[in-house]
Amino acid sequence: MRSTARILKRFIGATMLISAFLLVFNFVLIGVWVFNGMNEGGSPTRVVQQVAAGLQAGNQQFALDEVAIELLEQNQAWALLIDDEGQVLWDYHAPENLPDTYSVIDVAKFTKWYLEDYPVFTWEHENGLVVVGYPKDSLVKYQYHLPIQWVGTLPLKIFALLIINLVVGLLLSLIIGYKLVRSIRPLTEGIQALGEDQEVFIEPKGILQDLAQNINRVASLLRQKNLRLKERDEARSNWIAGISHDIRTPLSMILGYSSAWEENPTLPEEQRKEAGIIRRHAENLRSLVNDLNLVSMLEYEMQPLQKRQLRLAALVRQVATEFLNNGLDEQFSLEIATLDERAQVEGDERLLKRAITNLIQNSMNHNPEGCTITLQVSVQEEYGTCRLTVEDNGKGIPENKIPELLELPYSSKRKQSQRSGHGLGLPMVARIAKAHQGHFILDSDTGKGVKAEIVLPTKNSDSTKTV
Amino acid sequence: MENVKHKKLLVVDDEPEIRQMIDRFLRNEGFSRIFHAASFAEALEVFHTVKPDLAILDVMLPDGDGFSLLSSIRQTSNIPVLFLTARGEDEDRLLGLGLGADDYMVKPFLPRELVLRITAILRRVYAPPQQERYPVFQLGSRLVDLESGIVSNNGDELPLTAKEHALLLKLYENRNRIVTSDALCQAAWGDDYFGYENTLMVHIRRIREKIEVNPSKPEFLLTVRGLGYKLMVRGDE
Repeated sequence: MRSTARILKRFIGATMLISAFLLVFNFVLIGVWVFNGMNEGGSPTRVVQQVAAGLQAGNQQFALDEVAIELLEQNQAWALLIDDEGQVLWDYHAPENLPDTYSVIDVAKFTKWYLEDYPVFTWEHENGLVVVGYPKDSLVKYQYHLPIQWVGTLPLKIFALLIINLVVGLLLSLIIGYKLVRSIRPLTEGIQALGEDQEVFIEPKGILQDLAQNINRVASLLRQKNLRLKERDEARSNWIAGISHDIRTPLSMILGYSSAWEENPTLPEEQRKEAGIIRRHAENLRSLVNDLNLVSMLEYEMQPLQKRQLRLAALVRQVATEFLNNGLDEQFSLEIATLDERAQVEGDERLLKRAITNLIQNSMNHNPEGCTITLQVSVQEEYGTCRLTVEDNGKGIPENKIPELLELPYSSKRKQSQRSGHGLGLPMVARIAKAHQGHFILDSDTGKGVKAEIVLPTKNSDSTKTV
Repeated sequence: MENVKHKKLLVVDDEPEIRQMIDRFLRNEGFSRIFHAASFAEALEVFHTVKPDLAILDVMLPDGDGFSLLSSIRQTSNIPVLFLTARGEDEDRLLGLGLGADDYMVKPFLPRELVLRITAILRRVYAPPQQERYPVFQLGSRLVDLESGIVSNNGDELPLTAKEHALLLKLYENRNRIVTSDALCQAAWGDDYFGYENTLMVHIRRIREKIEVNPSKPEFLLTVRGLGYKLMVRGDE
């Protein structure tokens, strides 16, 4: 909405500037035109003045000098000289139908208006009155009579006129600008929604309907693309789920019969050992298939989370206890640092336990000669998060290898093949954290040990008791 | 308990080799009355004619799924059912158990585990009703009798409170293994156990006063720092 206000402001500023410029421009233009038009071919007043000056009384004869004749010819005008009695004393190319005598009334009339439809102009001469006539329909004569008061307030009136112009201009540009902005608003909202990956349809109407149609086209294109991407993800995930399913049945036979042979006392010791090897590898394959399926479901966001309120400290205790109860190899030791009992999250118990198990297992796989693994749970109240840390004091991972450890095995971003395990453990932890709107941090360097942290948003239940 | 092996079992799976393998394992363990079905329809038919005591169902069958098969069976019978499926997804597990299955196993499985689970279900469902008895066990020179709720030491009888009884029972059920403080609190105070950690410590101390020779140097009820407790019971299992 801030952008539309800015558009409106800019628009009004621009229109006001344009109208001010036009106003000044018009004033100048009109001034120049009027001035030029008035002076076209010399003003009639100057001509009659010239003629009066150039008309010399000789003995019984009047003579017009060259300059005056030239002027009259140029304007296709004629001239008369009328004496005080109204008698025509002299003429120059005066039309035939003009009378020879003029009364005072006639003189008064034509001085102001026309003589027999000829626009005429008069000037005083020592022998009477010089009259210069122009061809019919060549000039218009106007008389102006303005009250002194009106002329006195003229500057004020012009100023008021300017103000009114300004206000009207502002109003018009406001209305037009508002209409424009209103037609733009659905578009800006549409583009914003497009950025937020929402459904967009703008009714194409008004002056911007082409734009609206284009936005709609982009929106439907994006929608189709997303749909196709989702379909592809789904297909990939279903494909992996299908393969996992198809592997499980034959694997049942391998696992079943090999474990039966392993436990069959009638078989020779050697063969029972071999059956044990087959059984162990079948079990590895089973966990690989299960993990592959889980990671692919998480990767394509197809894994439904069974979310409920969980206390991280209790989860950590449970996982650590399972490790200890199942017999930890003696080169490893599992330490419990502070477990903040306030750390509560909404999550999938099985997945989060799996993540903790993976981290502990990962530390053990990376340090076969032994290490101490420390578990910790803390709360960051200022960020609204809680943190689950699994730290070991083993040989560590070179810092530059860390980013690729979180990528899926065999992806373009992960080149090195894993030496221990199937390499799905850490990527799975990262994806479990992501599925819980959290993130996974792996911090290590050679000789520094590995510090793995899962950061999750805290979700406190209302019934939390303060202890 | 010998009669468990005489129960009639129905194995439903469209893979003949899986059926054969399960059949063999069950026979090795002493079961003899095993019936097969390869499809939904066949399973229903066998179910009505044979009236088995337990059914092992595959989820994916050529003419239907195991879940609806279970629903059909449940209309007339309450026999225990175990799902054995190649689909491992959580939703399926919850759906299966929600429909009233007694157990759910994912392929590939270890035959010993399958047999153990089937035996456990049969015992639970068909065992003659008997009074549940609490364990009685020896800790050094003292005898812990959870049946009567008494610890006896050379003629001295120390009664156990209800909470102490619940805690000792939980510890004994997981004897020689660590039990988290969470699990203990849950056993004594139920699901809404949060906040009882300090109370738990008090109860553990009282139990030690009754079962240990030197309560400040426990031999049997050990603390596992940061996790919980462990009850050491010798000469058992």
